Parts: sequence; structure tokens; C-alpha cells
Amino acid sequence: MARWLSLLGALARFSFGGARAALRLPRAGQDVVARVTLNQIRFTAVHAIGLVVLLSGILSFLVISQAVRELGQFGATELIGTLMVIVIVRELGPLFTALALVGRSGTAIAAELATNTVMGEVRALQGMGIDPRQYLVLPRFIGALASMFALLVLFDVVAIAAGFAAAAINGMTGSRYAEIVLRSLTARDVLLTVAKALALGVIVGVVPSYFGLSVRRAATDVPVAVSRATVASIVGVFLCSASFVLLG
Amino acid sequence: MTAPLVFEDVPLNQRARTACTLAVPAHRTVAVLGDEASGVDRLGGYVLGLEAPPAGRVLVFDTDVASLSEDDRLAFRRRVGYLPAGDGLLQNLTLRDNIALPLRFGSTGSPREIDGRVNIMVAALRLGGAADWRPAQANEEECRRAALARAVAFDPGLLVLEQPFDGVTARVAGELLEVARGGETAAGARRAILITGQEIPIVVQRRCDRVYRLTRAGSLELETV
Repeated sequence: MARWLSLLGALARFSFGGARAALRLPRAGQDVVARVTLNQIRFTAVHAIGLVVLLSGILSFLVISQAVRELGQFGATELIGTLMVIVIVRELGPLFTALALVGRSGTAIAAELATNTVMGEVRALQGMGIDPRQYLVLPRFIGALASMFALLVLFDVVAIAAGFAAAAINGMTGSRYAEIVLRSLTARDVLLTVAKALALGVIVGVVPSYFGLSVRRAATDVPVAVSRATVASIVGVFLCSASFVLLG
Repeated sequence: MTAPLVFEDVPLNQRARTACTLAVPAHRTVAVLGDEASGVDRLGGYVLGLEAPPAGRVLVFDTDVASLSEDDRLAFRRRVGYLPAGDGLLQNLTLRDNIALPLRFGSTGSPREIDGRVNIMVAALRLGGAADWRPAQANEEECRRAALARAVAFDPGLLVLEQPFDGVTARVAGELLEVARGGETAAGARRAILITGQEIPIVVQRRCDRVYRLTRAGSLELETV
């Protein structure tokens, strides 16, 4: 418990230091950071589109297929809307998207930054007067945040579309499905999903960066850092999701 | 005129019984050599404020770098050229982009001006076509050349070179030193240079104004070349 609290404190200090560094980013450095950020978004969001579409499509298709069949027996197909909005859009969507990003990009961020440190690149940046938090962490943080948001929107759109397909295959009309889902979807659901996407994006961006930069100068530290970053990110994602359930 | 770099009563390693005072005067090239246990690899970090000396002061252009705030230290480092041990090139950038990085991040030059400066550095270091390769595609000599080009990109008055000639021939080492010196003035080299490392070629030692040997006990002994 003490170890986790100490980690939480270190992550808070790291985030605070990173935020301060971001505010002090020189004008000339903004262009460089913008270019690295776009590259990061390409890797984190664009390259992950296939994976997210696959996960979302299969998950939604399976859940809605089963639900239409089972709930149809009791005449409770109305509940499909609630199932789609609360279970898939609000809960599983952010969770699956965040886990996909942790597995795909979080590990890559931790490995890359740990290698940067071990190879002396971080020290070289500092020696040139470049704050590694500005050049290495900030683009990854913004990239993770933007990617998490964009991929979550994609996840939800694909989930609703796959649910539509599943419902149609199981005999429900498209207009009925759309009516049920739209009736269940409220502005509060949308706001909660956006808030969750941002919170999970922070975890995906900050935690792997922290572990990546905290290695010493030994190559054997790299896999350890990646492993710790992955575990801590997954725990963080689940705790964050749980806290949103408690909040509302 | 005071020296651009002065180590004032600094114990140079953990076993040092006495603190050392060492100056790198303007226009002069000073080499400090020693084995791994001597602590010679820490000197560059002290100069740039990457590490604080255990005691004493390190004055760079009359400024005690360790006393600066984090922001000021970052800005201050742009006045000192630095070639870290192992070259420290970013592996995901081409050699050209590595050279341009400090200029893009820390100068107010337009992209065209920065590209022009980088082209000059690429030509001066004879990088040629290798400039568009990534460090993993280039050989060790080309990486050294690129790392030196990056170190002198801002045309600094003081240069710190850590093990700069590892993996290159004596002829190339001599050539790199000439580029590092930045040309000659009536008073000597245009830049003051501190070279640290375990060993440097004799041809380079002969071009140095002073060569010191840092012992494991932490004392500096002047070498005669």
C-alpha cells in the first residue's frame, strides 16, 4: 500500500513538473513539439484504428446478438438501448480503448523513453538545453490524450453500427433499434464518456512516460520499466473506470 | 579576462583527498584523461550543471551553474557546446535532424536559416550523403561527426567533449579537433575546449595546450606529451 501511495506521489510530482515544463515551452520549440506530437498521434491513433474497429465490432455484435435473443424471450428488447449505452458506450468502450492503447502505445512509449535514457539521449538533450519533458513527454502526453478521445469516438460509432447489424440479423428493424438506443442516450452519458476519455488519456500518456524516464543507465532496466509501466497503467485504467462508476 | 571554465576547489572523485582547481582559458584546449574509476566522466556533467559537484564551484563564463534555477540552467547550456560520451544522437532522427534539433528548439532563426546553418555543418564535418541516414544506418565515425556538428551548432565559446574520439582513427580525431577548435585566431583556437576521456590519440594530445591525468586518488597530474 505504501509503495502504491509513494508511486502515486511520484506520478503527481512528475505530472506537475511536466505541466510546468509545458507552460515554459519556448516559441521555437513549439513547432518541433507539434511535429513530434503529430507523429505520435499517427502512431497511437491512426495505426490503432484497425484494432479498435475489430474489438468494438466484435464486442458489440456479440453482446447485442445475445441480448436480442435472450431479452426477446421476455419481451424486454427495450433494455437493449440501456445495454448499449451504459455497458458498451459508457463503460466497456473507454475501458477497452484504454487497454488497447496501453498494450499498443503505452508499452512502446515506456520502451522508447527507457531506451532514450539508457542510450544517453536524455542526458544529451539536457546538455543541449532541451528539457526532455518538453521534447519527449509533452508530445506523447498530448498524443495519448487526443488519440484516446478520437479512438473512443470511433469505438462507440462502430459499436452502435455493429449493434445495428446484430439486431437486424436477429430480426429487429433498424428504426426500432435506432429509436431504443437514441432514447437511452442522454447528454450526461456523452459528458461522462468524454470525461472518462480524457482521464484515461492522461493515464496512458503519463504513466508509461514516468516509468520510461525513471530507469538508470542499464539496458536491463528497459524490460523492467516496460513491465511496471504496463501493470501500473492497467491498474490505473481500472481504478479510474471504477471511480467514475462511484461518481455517477 | 577570466577563463571561460574554472573548477574551483572541486573534489574530482569520491576518493579525492584534496579538492582541485582547474581552468580552461579562452582559446585553449585542455584534456583531462583518466580511467573509469577516476571520476573523469563526471566533469562534463559538472560543467553543464547536469550534476552538482560535491563541494567547491564550477564557474562557466563566471557563472556558478549549480546555483542557477532549472530554467536558467537549461537556457545557459545553449552557450556551451556538448558532445556526450557515446554521442547521444537521437535514434529516431536522421543525422541532419539531430544537428538541427538544438537550433530548432533553442534559436529564433527561420527554418531556412536553420537549414542553411545545418548545411554548413554537414559540409564542414564532411557528412555528405550520410546526413540523411539515421544513426543506426551510419558508422561510428559518421555518428561522431554528426554529434560534433550538433555540439558546435550554436557556435559556442566553450566546448565540452566527452570521449570524443572513441572509435575513430587518429587522422579523423585530428580532423575533428580542428573543427572543434573552430579555426585559429592570433590568441589561439577560436573556442575554449575541455576534452575528457580515458585516452585520446597522441596526435590530438600534441594539439592540446594542457593534458592532465586524473588519478584514482582524485589528484590532477600534468602530462608531458
